Amino acid sequence: MRRLHILLVDGDPNACIRMQQTLGNEFLLQQVLSLAQARRYLAEILPDILICEVTFGTESGLDLCRFVRRSPELAHLPIILLTNLSTIQDKVAGFDAGADDYIVKPFDARHLAARIRLLWRIKRLQQFDSI
Amino acid sequence: MELCYNAEKWVTIFSGGQYVDDAARQCRETMKKVLVIDDNPTIVELIKYAVNLQSNYQVLVAYDGVQGLESVYAERPDCVIIDVKMPRMDGYQLVRCLRGDARTANTPLIILSAMTREEDQMIGLLSGVDEYLTKPFKPSALNAAIERVLRLSPDERRRRMDYLVQTQADRE
Repeated sequence: MRRLHILLVDGDPNACIRMQQTLGNEFLLQQVLSLAQARRYLAEILPDILICEVTFGTESGLDLCRFVRRSPELAHLPIILLTNLSTIQDKVAGFDAGADDYIVKPFDARHLAARIRLLWRIKRLQQFDSI
Repeated sequence: MELCYNAEKWVTIFSGGQYVDDAARQCRETMKKVLVIDDNPTIVELIKYAVNLQSNYQVLVAYDGVQGLESVYAERPDCVIIDVKMPRMDGYQLVRCLRGDARTANTPLIILSAMTREEDQMIGLLSGVDEYLTKPFKPSALNAAIERVLRLSPDERRRRMDYLVQTQADRE
């Protein structure tokens, strides 16, 4: 099974450490702590999957979703929002912003790993379909 | 008026804004809830008819993905039947949204869609739906699917997901 390259965007360094501990063996995990760092990273490197928190102080991870969807080079990048925000309005806003999946913290690591792989496969099917 | 299939005959349980008696109230409260989410009112009526034809469920209805999501959290249905092409939030998004929250991750989900291609069905299953049925549908097939998904345990659902992950990885 290929190690998928994941960009994790979360302002909480501890969240990044936990993710590294739980998913680091199975995936190639790169972590950035701010949306600005994420934009710079994406300008250089295209990961297989983007996992993003929503809350970043005055900023929102949804802005990064919209940025990705507007960018021709990044538009097909699979996006998972992984967040504490759990209301229906939060979820609808996440999908409206362009997220492909929405996972509420706390999450089961095995479940998240499966969801990452399944979303990757879904996007491959959809890309193949649109050719 | 609401009917309930009881002791091999249809009886009225709810009429004029109230239950006809305590037995009727008990019958209603023990009925499993099936939520139908479809933007086509005609299809919704067909599904309601089909579901009530062979089984005894309380059928709830929502007409788009967001309304469906609200109903899932408000009503805690035992099973959800979901169309794919809907306004505001499509069926695939709705399924992922429900599977991504521990509160709803083990809700039995069925997609019932006019999208019949193998790729469409695969996307539904990869999104986390328990069964994918296509329209037009046979009432007996829908009821059998409801019975199957109601029996699925969280462990069985997890095993199915692991199997999907493995088989799809083999295709890469």
